[in-house]
Amino acid sequence: MKKISVNPITRLEGHGKIEIFLDDSGEVVNSYLQIPELRGFEKFCEGRPVEELPRIVPRICGV
Amino acid sequence: MKAARRIPLMKKMLAQFGIEEERVRLDWVSASEGDRFAQLVNEMTEEIRRLGPFSGNGGKADD
Amino acid sequence: MTKPKIALYWAAACGGCDVAVLDTNEKILDIANLADIVFWPVALDFKYHHVEEMADTSIDLCLFNGAVRNSEQEEIARLLRAKSKVMVAFGACACFGGIPALGNFTTRDEIFERVYIESPSSANENRTFPQTLTKVEEGELDLPEMFDTVMTLAQVVDVEYFIPGCPPPVDIILKVVDLFASGQLPPVGAIIASDKTLCDECERTKEEKKIARIYRPHQIIPDPNRCLLEQGIICCGPATRGGCGVRCVKANMPCRGCFGPPPGVIDQGAKLVSAIASIYQSDGQEDINRMLEDIVDPAGTFYRFGMADSMLKRKSLPQGERRA
Repeated sequence: MKKISVNPITRLEGHGKIEIFLDDSGEVVNSYLQIPELRGFEKFCEGRPVEELPRIVPRICGV
Repeated sequence: MKAARRIPLMKKMLAQFGIEEERVRLDWVSASEGDRFAQLVNEMTEEIRRLGPFSGNGGKADD
Repeated sequence: MTKPKIALYWAAACGGCDVAVLDTNEKILDIANLADIVFWPVALDFKYHHVEEMADTSIDLCLFNGAVRNSEQEEIARLLRAKSKVMVAFGACACFGGIPALGNFTTRDEIFERVYIESPSSANENRTFPQTLTKVEEGELDLPEMFDTVMTLAQVVDVEYFIPGCPPPVDIILKVVDLFASGQLPPVGAIIASDKTLCDECERTKEEKKIARIYRPHQIIPDPNRCLLEQGIICCGPATRGGCGVRCVKANMPCRGCFGPPPGVIDQGAKLVSAIASIYQSDGQEDINRMLEDIVDPAGTFYRFGMADSMLKRKSLPQGERRA
């Protein structure tokens, strides 16, 4: 089975890659979108004062 | 008097870094209290020996 | 004459630095005229293999934004380092760790637990977490390894210049482009911003640096003309490098230190502890206790953008949980 990697995906905000598996005749068998990045805002915002969050969470996405 | 304010704030911050409270200590000793000075230093030394070496494990270079 | 080559990359970042480059508006055309952009994931369709195929040091200038949080970002940092003559840590994340480095108060396992198990939108009874290698019917899938500790770019590869800011202001970006175009880049290691502190550049009226109590934003309406710190609002200006145009303070918001420590300061957070505690007026233990109560989150405030670059770098891991 042949694998085509589209890595990284471009012209959008964020990190991602696409893996496409092809059979012997070149037909697509399956494809996967993977997100290789996690920063953990869900966790590290805990313990921060609530009034500071408007200055932290804009950095989830700045585009 | 600045130290009396700085050290408690520093200790509050170090607690957030997971650093044992006993590693920082502020005491007031007069120049005439030689015995007390020696006693405090010995106490501190024992305390640190009990805690063992500090490793922040930050980054890669420290390991 | 062939045009110089520029590469831009984002690691653990939000994309705001890339947008800051586009905020140069029509000047972006000058940049495009001046140089060939050979890699820029947010805007152009070049893949990692295109970079791998380039000759070593064939890229003249690499603007790298984002912190290093996983093995892919480390690999790309090394790859771009090998391919580039000049490596620039672009923005607060690449320079100091930035907001992603607040993750250094926690660990990979704690983040995974929160994100994939505890979050209200997760239904994950089998406790499935991201794997570096997954076998699927058709073959194998791989993901980078997430680190416990977020690192700055300079902790991973050699860096020639640092452009701080969250994001770097347009005038600094244009200044760097000019310096690059005219071949007048400063000595290696330079931080391209001001050599003064933010306070030195702030135009607010400063009287006596004394505060009787700390106010949180919902407790006070700040006077737009007086020093915020003197009004009792925690402002990181005394231990932050200038050059940002005092953007936040002009908007009546206190500084949070995205330009990193000024010259002569090694640890931004420790300097702020010293600065704020020393101007606080206290008559006794009661006042000191109130100060401690009112400064809710000293580490997360004083190291808001600088955790990875601080002396301690991260929250200490319990014995037995330490890994490289």
